[in-house]
Amino acid sequence: MMKVIIYKEIREIISSRKFVFAFLVSAILILLSFYVGARWYESNRDRYEAAKSENLRQMSGITDWIMVNHHIFLPPDPLAALVAGIDNDIGRDIQMYASGELKSTDSRFSDDPIFSIFHFLDIEFIFSIVLALFAILFGYNLINGEKENGTLRLVFAHALPRHQFILGKMTGVLLAVMIPLLIPFCLGCLVLILLGVPMDTEAWLRLIMIILNGMLYFIVLLLLAIFISTRTVRSAHAFLLTLIIWIFTSLIIPRVAVLAAGRMVTVPSTDELDSKKFRYRSQLWSEDMQKMNAFKAPETGNPQEMMDAFHKYMGELGRERNAKTELFNRQLNEERQNRQARQQIVAFSLARLAPSTSFSLAVRQLAGTSLTLKRDFLAAARLYQESYANFLSAKTDGLLPGAGMVFRMVTDDGEEPQPINAHEIPAFVFHRPTVWQALQEAAPDMAILIVFALLFFSSAYVSFLKYDVR
Amino acid sequence: MIKTLILKEIRLYFASPRFVAVFLICALLILLSIHLGIREYQAAVAQYDTATQLAAQDLHERNSWDGTETRVFRAPDPMQIFVNGVSNDIGRFSTISEWEQVRLRQSPNADDTIFAVFRYLDFSFIVQVVLSLLAFMFTYDAINGERENGTLKLIFAHSLPRSRFILAKLAGSWIGLIIPFIIPVLLGFLLLIAFNIPLTTNHWLRIGLLLSLSVLYYSFFIIAGITVSAFTRHSSESFLILLVVWVFLVLIIPRGAVLTAANLIPVPGAAEINGQIEGFSNEQWKAHEKILSEAWRRRNAQMSGMDATARKAYEDEHMWSWMEEDEASRRQVQTNISAFARRLKEDNRNRSEEQQHLAFGMSRFSPASAFRLAAMNLAGTGIEMKNRYELAMENYKDILNRFIDEKKSDDNEPGGISITFDSESGFSFRTADLKKTLDTSEMPQFEQPQIRLSALLPQTLIDFFILAVACLLTFSLSWLAFLRYDLR
Repeated sequence: MMKVIIYKEIREIISSRKFVFAFLVSAILILLSFYVGARWYESNRDRYEAAKSENLRQMSGITDWIMVNHHIFLPPDPLAALVAGIDNDIGRDIQMYASGELKSTDSRFSDDPIFSIFHFLDIEFIFSIVLALFAILFGYNLINGEKENGTLRLVFAHALPRHQFILGKMTGVLLAVMIPLLIPFCLGCLVLILLGVPMDTEAWLRLIMIILNGMLYFIVLLLLAIFISTRTVRSAHAFLLTLIIWIFTSLIIPRVAVLAAGRMVTVPSTDELDSKKFRYRSQLWSEDMQKMNAFKAPETGNPQEMMDAFHKYMGELGRERNAKTELFNRQLNEERQNRQARQQIVAFSLARLAPSTSFSLAVRQLAGTSLTLKRDFLAAARLYQESYANFLSAKTDGLLPGAGMVFRMVTDDGEEPQPINAHEIPAFVFHRPTVWQALQEAAPDMAILIVFALLFFSSAYVSFLKYDVR
Repeated sequence: MIKTLILKEIRLYFASPRFVAVFLICALLILLSIHLGIREYQAAVAQYDTATQLAAQDLHERNSWDGTETRVFRAPDPMQIFVNGVSNDIGRFSTISEWEQVRLRQSPNADDTIFAVFRYLDFSFIVQVVLSLLAFMFTYDAINGERENGTLKLIFAHSLPRSRFILAKLAGSWIGLIIPFIIPVLLGFLLLIAFNIPLTTNHWLRIGLLLSLSVLYYSFFIIAGITVSAFTRHSSESFLILLVVWVFLVLIIPRGAVLTAANLIPVPGAAEINGQIEGFSNEQWKAHEKILSEAWRRRNAQMSGMDATARKAYEDEHMWSWMEEDEASRRQVQTNISAFARRLKEDNRNRSEEQQHLAFGMSRFSPASAFRLAAMNLAGTGIEMKNRYELAMENYKDILNRFIDEKKSDDNEPGGISITFDSESGFSFRTADLKKTLDTSEMPQFEQPQIRLSALLPQTLIDFFILAVACLLTFSLSWLAFLRYDLR
């Protein structure tokens, strides 16, 4: 009997105008989001390549490694174009020093604020807004709609167990709506291949996980709508209530939670930190200047030897000063990071009251565009800093730009010094977390979505067992 | 007759649970958004005050005007409470120094990325996204719902002209939905006064215009909902159509237009531009080094054949003019680099503007886009905000550099570091007086660029006009549709 209900439900939905309309709109938007994502990736890749070549070009003609001003950039990722997350909010450019603190600057949004006005048409947006609304559309009158039409009474005129009916209806609607939706997603993947977006196995696996998560979120909203349909007599009321719940859970709660956490856990501003760091650095610098003022060079009469001795002395002071500065900066940064972590815990704990938060956080983890992206980029840059420092040290006989003052004595013998070869600088490589790591990070949010789905399913099931079918 | 019909509609609205629902949602969201906006604004002001004080103190504690650099910050504006726009996306400050290019750095969202995760909740977002959807939710069955219930047939059993009915329907629905919107907004204004937000007449005028704009935008969605309801026989159909219309108008067209414009007119990234400036700068400094070497050779040649005493006397006599010559060459390099950077940035700005014109021109097909752009324009938080600040900071840089040059020339003690080798005294390293601090009391202060209402109006009026035309068009469509509506 249940099989008959499932078939009937699928037939009814697929032959309805509502389905055709919703399917067409979703298919167009899904394909559009894949196309836009592929083009966005291309544009980001072009910018990245242009920035890298400009970085090398600006160093051409430099004859002294001390003078290099090297930058590293966050490479674009195809999945970041499909699930933007915070990819466009964080700085993508780091000026590299052989020592000292590194900062990422020039986010895509600060660079091109036009994109921050309306944001992106990515897969996350399609699932969280468009498909979410369609899930509500297919669920809000599933039960009370039948009652309004009088068909519920007719159905239960036969000896049909209630649980079979509700299970059959839910299975039918899920199959009828979700399976056709997989078609545009498969076509979207084809678009990526046709446009030559470089997707490796890891990226495909991540994309599949993202789509599955989206489907899970779709199920949660569909079951919520069905649950509300079993709790209300009129479909218009169910629709109104479901839509209001969606507005609050998708658009209001996550934003309010983050803003509230911002007020509940205050984090010192970067300006305060910068000022403290500047003062400490200035104080150490001033002390070292006094020491340098008192420096007595060996009286050899040879300026080069005197300068070498002074450099050696200055180098010792510089290393000591750097060690102190780095320790001080690390302490300040750690303090700020700890407070930020607390703020994040409060914000996301509150925001997770809404299933949309868990969906967004999970897909961003899988796409590698979550909050950890900034941390990972800076960590990779710091790791690179070590190899860069070793490289420069070898090239400059131990004189490191960025470690303090460096004086160069140039003998003007009329000979043109040879330019450096900037291509010798070690390449910066940024690895995003592996699919397994991303899955581990996303697992708690995926579990929350499953709990929401089970909760709404059982609520709808129990509620229908007591439903007044007259 | 029409008065009776309108009053009936309003009575019906006020007595229905819909009115209560709209009122509660509007009150909660609008008051929440304004309250959060006020708290965010206050936090931003506190952060701005601390940052500017620290920057002034850091500058004061320097011991020489040589190589002076400072930071100037964007001051928060109370209009951010209503329309946050791009203020969290663009940098908060720029370093002002002789050596560095003006560039807004460290956007609030890049510093505290958590606030970028779900973006901002402000009044304009509530109106643009939530209220437009609410308007559709409460009007989708305005006409076909009456037909489904059979009330439409009953009403037209009397001799009632259709035009009067549709007019009454539109007016009644409009009043019924606008009142629950206006009351919380007015209460929100009281919040501004209660929290002592410093609002000038200019601000109040802009807030007034923003409110009118919001009413116009909300009206469009109310009328559009009734129009679609007058074109369809079943409320389920009209709801489906309206949902798709909402998705396209509010979410797809604005995004699609910007992305299309970005593909049609690509703009080079900041890293590329900065790299070009860096490259030019390196070339210029290399040329400067050559000039210095040549000058050194020329001066040495002039002193060749002199004994040590004559050489010393000659050096003492010419030292000042040599220094001036070297300084002039250095200044020329600085000027060249600045001119090149400004030209490159201006080219880039022009290209960005071209891209923006195309993007916004296309996106204005959607009233949601016209509303958002006009709201940001009124609040002064649109994309022109970046250019406005960077230009003001460029001007300030010139003023400050002139002031620093004057101070440096007045200062008898040279700053910085000097290293000398002398056959008698050997090697010596000297710095400026480390205990000295700078007197910054006369230093020119950065003036925040002001927003004049007269400058905002032309652009805002275009969007007002677009929204008014959209309202009139949907109004006439609803009228025409209802005149032919099958009442059975």
